[in-house]
Amino acid sequence: MEVARGKLSVTSLLFLLLIGSTFGLTGCGGDSESGGTSQTTSETQENSGTLTVLAASSLTDAFGELATTFQEQNPGTKVITSFGGSSELLTQIEQGAPADVFASADEDKMDTAVQDDLANEPQTFVRNRPVIIVPKDNLAGIHGLQDLTKSGTKLVLAQDGVPIAEYAKKILANANSEYGGDFEQQVMNNIVSREANVRTSANRVSLGEADATFVYITDVTPDIEDQVEVIEIPEDLNVTATYPIAALKEASNPELAQKWIDLILSDEGQRLLEEYGFERVS
Amino acid sequence: MKPKPELPGRTSRGDWLAPGLAVAALALLAGFISLPLLSLVIWTVSEGSWRAMASPVALDALLLSARTTAVTMTIILVVGTPAALVLARAEFPGKRLVNTLVDIPAVLPPSAAGIALLLAFGRMGLLGEYLRVFGIELSFTTAAVVIAELFVASHFYVRQATVGFERIDRDVEAAAMVDGASRFKVFSKITIPLAFPALVAGAVTSWARALGEFGGTIIFAGSFRGVTQTMPLAIYGTLESDFDAAVALSVLVLGFSFVIILTARFFTRRIEERAG
Repeated sequence: MEVARGKLSVTSLLFLLLIGSTFGLTGCGGDSESGGTSQTTSETQENSGTLTVLAASSLTDAFGELATTFQEQNPGTKVITSFGGSSELLTQIEQGAPADVFASADEDKMDTAVQDDLANEPQTFVRNRPVIIVPKDNLAGIHGLQDLTKSGTKLVLAQDGVPIAEYAKKILANANSEYGGDFEQQVMNNIVSREANVRTSANRVSLGEADATFVYITDVTPDIEDQVEVIEIPEDLNVTATYPIAALKEASNPELAQKWIDLILSDEGQRLLEEYGFERVS
Repeated sequence: MKPKPELPGRTSRGDWLAPGLAVAALALLAGFISLPLLSLVIWTVSEGSWRAMASPVALDALLLSARTTAVTMTIILVVGTPAALVLARAEFPGKRLVNTLVDIPAVLPPSAAGIALLLAFGRMGLLGEYLRVFGIELSFTTAAVVIAELFVASHFYVRQATVGFERIDRDVEAAAMVDGASRFKVFSKITIPLAFPALVAGAVTSWARALGEFGGTIIFAGSFRGVTQTMPLAIYGTLESDFDAAVALSVLVLGFSFVIILTARFFTRRIEERAG
């Protein structure tokens, strides 16, 4: 029986170790926005109105802070932000998700929302710059856009329809004229995984699992900037990401929705977005 | 409640109330499960999204799921059967620990399993770092999908197989041994057939778990058509671009599961009929 007790304590020790390591490792495995859509809820004491904002995952940090600002300016309101690939958010809106504002990372998704009579007149609120990121140790030796064709390079890209993937395809098409007709195809052949959104792609690289990916410059957050290296795309080949915002037709709180858009377009909102690396429009 | 000196069998309120409630509970459960399944089929019919089932994405995903789960099940059966036999028959130091280990993947959320696998077998992982020296990289490969499936699914087979082996009357085996049967012959002609229903049940549950594997796969193996995008990943992937296709894929995988379960039932029944 003594032996059995000894065994039991080894069992529980290992179990604790396993649990501990699972949690610990999850912690260093990346920021909390890594998996698909993430939600942040902040509350103030009174609860007079709730505003639900669906926003492109690249806006995660900036909109998170703006939500706090908004709640301070409008005591009693509660902002619920939900981040994901703009295409994923569009599907949610199409399926009747209760939301007040939609902020997309490209005009395509917003145009669809407007055409389907789901969103009001949109306004452009920031611009962003696509870049390539590689892990710090850069095992694949990628130093420029043209290196993405190197055989054996493990490239990841957000899935079709996600704005960053659409922008990347435009960049590759532009590069065809510069680097040869099948450049785009050669790069696409190096893709090993299609990710849910731009932030999951960034995580693949910051963890060192993938050799390179396309993200926005704003995705190189303090969280991952020590683990990745930014490679700029030649200016004449790059595209500008344009972010539109609009109140949704089915908004349960149109007034608050408009207030949110006003904040985003105000000098204060623009300045804050600029701090996060976005290019302001006003 | 006062005990009533009534004759058993006489109809009283309490006599039909309890079974009535039980039947209602069962009906509720059946309705709760069938409603979403029915909704899938109705949507597919009304939106005419059948065509999406024949799309290259769907076929690639179905083939990949069939292939990876087949490999996974083969490994589980080959490794899991003797392992279960040892767990059922042998006493050894650390048995309790091994038992706990086998159970952990069943209670661990698959997404946590995915991260654990990534940190073990990923490029920068504990073992992955050494594997890379030999030119082996597992992340983003079909092998990674199989590893994720093995990790989450093996428990279900091993556990049920262990219970199956434990229930066998060892006198039957001993008798055969006395009659001169070899150890292997006893195992293949007596032990396995006697445990067969338990083995099939375990294998089906295990297979279902492998087929449904999502969190571990998307985190550890990534998602790429024909290589790592199994059915659940394809459903998640098309959900954003084409809702109809996601529904069609769900119906497809539903049908696929039905066929497997019915086949397993059929075989178990035949074995049981033959046995007794």
